[in-house]
Amino acid sequence: MAAVEEPQDYLDVLQSHRGGFSFENCKRNAYLASQVAIKPPTAMKSGTTICGIQLKDVVILAADTRSTCGPMVADKNCEKLHFIAKNVYCAGAGTAADLQHTTEMMESQMELLRMATGTQPRVCTVVRRLSSMLFKYQGYVGCALVLGGVDVTGPHLFQIYPHGSTDKLPFTSMGSGSLAAMAILEAEYNENLSVEEGKKLVAKAIRAGIFNDLGSGSNVDVCVITKDVGGTILRNFEKPNERKFRAKHAAFPIGTTPIMKQEITKLVSVEEDVVMRD
Amino acid sequence: MSGLMEYNGSAIVAMAGENCVGIASDTRHGIRQLQTVSCNRQKTFQVTDQCYVGLSGLATDVQTVSQLLNFRMKLFTLREERKMQPRMIGNMIASMLYEKRFGPYFTEPVVAGLDGEHKPYLCTFDFIGCLSTAEDFVVSGTTAEQLFGVCESFWRPGMNKDELFETLSQCLLSAADRDCLAGWGGVVHIITPDEIITKKLKGRMD
Amino acid sequence: MQTSLHFCCLSLKSTDCDQIQFLRLWQHCGRGSMTDSEYSFSLTTFAPSGKLLQIEYALNRVAEGRPALGIKAKNGVVLATEKKVTSPLVDEKTLSKVENLSESVGMVYAGMPADYRVLLRRGRKVAQQYYTTYRELIPVSQIVREEAAIMQEFTQSGGVRPFGVSLMIAGFDDSGPQLFQVDPSGTYFGWKASAIGKNHVNAKSFLEKRYSEDIELEDAIHTAILTLKEGFEEAITADNIEIGIVGADRKFRVLTPAEVQDYLGEVE
Repeated sequence: MAAVEEPQDYLDVLQSHRGGFSFENCKRNAYLASQVAIKPPTAMKSGTTICGIQLKDVVILAADTRSTCGPMVADKNCEKLHFIAKNVYCAGAGTAADLQHTTEMMESQMELLRMATGTQPRVCTVVRRLSSMLFKYQGYVGCALVLGGVDVTGPHLFQIYPHGSTDKLPFTSMGSGSLAAMAILEAEYNENLSVEEGKKLVAKAIRAGIFNDLGSGSNVDVCVITKDVGGTILRNFEKPNERKFRAKHAAFPIGTTPIMKQEITKLVSVEEDVVMRD
Repeated sequence: MSGLMEYNGSAIVAMAGENCVGIASDTRHGIRQLQTVSCNRQKTFQVTDQCYVGLSGLATDVQTVSQLLNFRMKLFTLREERKMQPRMIGNMIASMLYEKRFGPYFTEPVVAGLDGEHKPYLCTFDFIGCLSTAEDFVVSGTTAEQLFGVCESFWRPGMNKDELFETLSQCLLSAADRDCLAGWGGVVHIITPDEIITKKLKGRMD
Repeated sequence: MQTSLHFCCLSLKSTDCDQIQFLRLWQHCGRGSMTDSEYSFSLTTFAPSGKLLQIEYALNRVAEGRPALGIKAKNGVVLATEKKVTSPLVDEKTLSKVENLSESVGMVYAGMPADYRVLLRRGRKVAQQYYTTYRELIPVSQIVREEAAIMQEFTQSGGVRPFGVSLMIAGFDDSGPQLFQVDPSGTYFGWKASAIGKNHVNAKSFLEKRYSEDIELEDAIHTAILTLKEGFEEAITADNIEIGIVGADRKFRVLTPAEVQDYLGEVE
């Protein structure tokens, strides 16, 4: 971890209040790692299969819904399709927290841009901002993104790697299941597909990831972005892995668990008089 | 066993019932497998009338984060003259944790509460602030894997507050039996629209 | 040196990036060479009478500005302002005075346009910060408090001047429709209806006569237009006024000239 400067004067303090990342624990954590020889834990990742295709005037993104923490499935139905603007969405693979917060940050930046300029953000703007941010963090912000949107210049599909490189492609897949998904896309993609055929194709590609890659699983989420409507997320578009059984045994009888002590706090609602203050 | 998350040991589980929600934790505070310092450690914290936050992981960070949370909650109530809904608390914790993305606190919080319409809200985080919500149950701590297993089979929809308590306690106790770092007693909070029921459980002391 | 200090402090307050480095540079190289008296005064020093003259002057500047007003109705709030330009050669379509702070909150001003934009940018940023932290829209009272805090800061900091604007902030949140006025001193009040800028005294007494508690948003828009008309020297058109509304849908939006034209038609 990076060495951190102690605040020297009020300007340092001012700087530290400007938002952004806080590094105040770095020194301690580095000490813990070196002196006590305990390693820091691993963050939640999404192994993930994500993909996207660009058709005549629509972009379709899709993702699986499994998030993992090592070999453990941490969330069986998480959301990997992120809103950035009404006409720009992205699918993410990599460190889950980075994905969540980077896309939220981008959403906020695009809203500010939209209000400042009074125009819809363009896809290339989002891509440029994301890639310069990711490049700045040298790959430590672990976001691998498939980003798509429709703007005044038409539909666009991009992929962005954690180090900040970008590609503009007609179809793409990312994540640990990207090979499985790409096999399907390579075989069946055609730019003249209809929206319905497109949705079926991305779902099939994600299904390939779900069933052939262990890091991906559960359901298929699809996002369709059109010029007129903007983006719509079809949550759990396909559910190929519904649980086949449900516990049939009786519930635990009341009183099964011995208790040592019980406290009950009654909550009462207090009607408050609204007082106008000056 | 050399991770910071496994240093003190903890088991936290929260479950949704019908118009009620429950959160349970073990009470051990140990130092790896070598020593049990105390068996009366607080790991769940009441943040509003109807919302609890459970903090697993490194005990020093559990305390620090609980104090930070307390601070933020009080400041919010003073500023805005209203209570934070569980959903808001969840999002606030996510941004608090992510702010320290490159120098994190080694704790994985769990939020369990009832919102304005008495509907359960559950969510959990990894230590750098990835928020994941759930409709049924959430777990955290060194016992997470065991808890996932038992909860998958014992949780059922529509439990009332008594059924919720039994399920929650049985899940916690049986999972903690298979984790040498957690256990040594437990505490369960059941949050209903008009009362908070807190029960202390007797656990194995080995 | 004095000039550069002014520049720095202003930029700092307006959240502009990288000025800290500049200020730091100044701090390192310049501090030693200056005497205390050169910068230990502030532009906002109490007069013996207890007044802060700079703030009074700022208010005078506001009272010279184009009028703006707001009316809180039962089911929404309306903001309206005069948008007259100094020369017929100015393209008034490039001017906008009523602006969104967030999805549900909007604002208008009387006074200096350039100062307004600083507050606008800052307010939007605060609204977004709140949203990214809590994933919930910022309540009107909170964004008003933030704007007021910035304005107050500029009455008590070194090397700066107070803002030459008064703001009318309107929004709709869990506490219903709300209307606030913020003055250069940083004081703010909730209002049922209020006016700022030129002729605000007359406009306020006009509003006092016309206002009733159970007014509907549509009627409030009419009242707003009529109030503006009172102080108007020439013909009122869809191009020289601007109206923003927020209703129970909690979406603040600026009316298009076509919509304003319709309302003008209804009033006449």
